[in-house]
Amino acid sequence: MATQPSVLSGFIGRHRNAVLGGAAVALFFAAWQAIFFVVPFNPLFITKPSLIAAGLVDLIESGDLFHDLAVSAVPFFLGLFAAVVIGVPVGMVMGRRVRIGYALDPLMTVFYASPLVALAPLLVIFFGVGLPGKTIIVFSLAVFPFVFNACAGVRAVDHLLVNVVRSLGGGERDVYLKILLPSVLPYTIAGARIAVGRALIGVLVGEFFAASEGIGHAITRFADIFAVDRMFACILTVMVIAITLTEGIRWAERTAFPWRFGQ
Amino acid sequence: MAEMQTLDLELSATSGTLPATASRQRIESIALGTAAIVLLLLIWELVPHFLPIKQGTRLFFTVPSRIFETLWEMFATGSIWAPLGVSAAAFAIGLALAIAAGLPLGILLGRSKTLNAMLDPFVTAFNATPRLVFLPLLMLWLGIGMWSKIAIVFLGAVFPLLINTHEGVRNADKVLINVVRSFGASEWDVARLVVLPNSLPFIVVGLRLAIGRAILGVVVAEFFGAQDGLGVVMVRAASSFNVDIVFAGLIIFAGLSLIMTGLVRLFEERTSRWRPQRAANE
Repeated sequence: MATQPSVLSGFIGRHRNAVLGGAAVALFFAAWQAIFFVVPFNPLFITKPSLIAAGLVDLIESGDLFHDLAVSAVPFFLGLFAAVVIGVPVGMVMGRRVRIGYALDPLMTVFYASPLVALAPLLVIFFGVGLPGKTIIVFSLAVFPFVFNACAGVRAVDHLLVNVVRSLGGGERDVYLKILLPSVLPYTIAGARIAVGRALIGVLVGEFFAASEGIGHAITRFADIFAVDRMFACILTVMVIAITLTEGIRWAERTAFPWRFGQ
Repeated sequence: MAEMQTLDLELSATSGTLPATASRQRIESIALGTAAIVLLLLIWELVPHFLPIKQGTRLFFTVPSRIFETLWEMFATGSIWAPLGVSAAAFAIGLALAIAAGLPLGILLGRSKTLNAMLDPFVTAFNATPRLVFLPLLMLWLGIGMWSKIAIVFLGAVFPLLINTHEGVRNADKVLINVVRSFGASEWDVARLVVLPNSLPFIVVGLRLAIGRAILGVVVAEFFGAQDGLGVVMVRAASSFNVDIVFAGLIIFAGLSLIMTGLVRLFEERTSRWRPQRAANE
């Protein structure tokens, strides 16, 4: 009995930040639930955590949530995959061939800085509201972080390594495969962290615009019929997915390339 | 943090070059960069002359000369100013609110470990989530129009500012803080004299990112829930196959984004010129 508090306080001391954060989140949801004892509750515009949880269970049991997520996941991953496959080699060539870098850098910067989402209505008209349109929106948003990061990764490579491969009779192919590709990897993963966020934007924009299924469409559909509890359930699901993806990539970065976090 | 990534990359991208060849390289880079853009526009312009374009595709097809003509017309007749003004107002108000909220909150979180630990889950969650997901909700709450636009701009811009301010405050020199404290400074004095000047470069980077996010917010909000603004003009044009206007709008948004981030970058270089650690990097 006497050791109980000290163990507990030891645990709190060690995981102070996690405990405080968890407590704040719990407090937030409790306050949200409790506030409707004081304030009148209008189910058309606001909902409470208990109703959101019920809505979430409802969506899971009916299978709607997983269906919408699966529909959204396809263009998301296809677009990201295409962005890696095209973006990384382009960025590597831009970093390796100085003149190509000079030529393409301003162009890419303009594309990266411009809100390409603005082309979404056009892409939807071109390619339709289905998979191709969404995939292309995702790709066009997600490709630039890969290009720029791969380019920066190649430029950061120690020239000595390249010279060694050259002296030992390696060709340009060996330079790319044996030196540049491995050195670009951490940069690519850092780029992926940024690209994932942009890809999510792409999926949502595509689905808000014109779609008949998908998680983005589910959110607008529930907003249209004032089903606020189910809309919140979908929004929270998207938040959880976004956090899992970005924090997952961050974790992968830390575990695979700890030296990049040494400073 | 995602925001700091760009800072690293820019620093690592500046490779060491000898001063003698530096100016020649600069000229070469500008010439090649311009040439690539001109070449792309030229090819695009010439495509319809070489490739037969089907009647159906022609509806959606345009060439740069027509886009620039449309752009010129929009400015010449002045039809652009009203929607652009609406968009600019939403952008400016949203960004101003984001600065007003993000800076103090960032300083507060940087100074208080407890508060930071408590709010960190929320900041991480909102920063990882595309703010776009809240748009239907904001439209439900605030209605279609100015306020939902301002809200989405605010949500987009506030987190880069908050996170970068927080990072800057945390990097403030502890010795300086202790010195100022020893001379009897209050928490407010510490913030004003040491913390704020020290975190300025971080804040400016945050501002640059916030501008990009804010423009994205304006565009997206106007696409889905607004009655006027440049984005609305673009969506209407797209649905009536007026492709020129869509591209003209994109050029205006992109131009504004490049000009504003360029100005911030200039300010960044101006204000951080005296910093020894900055000089060491260059």
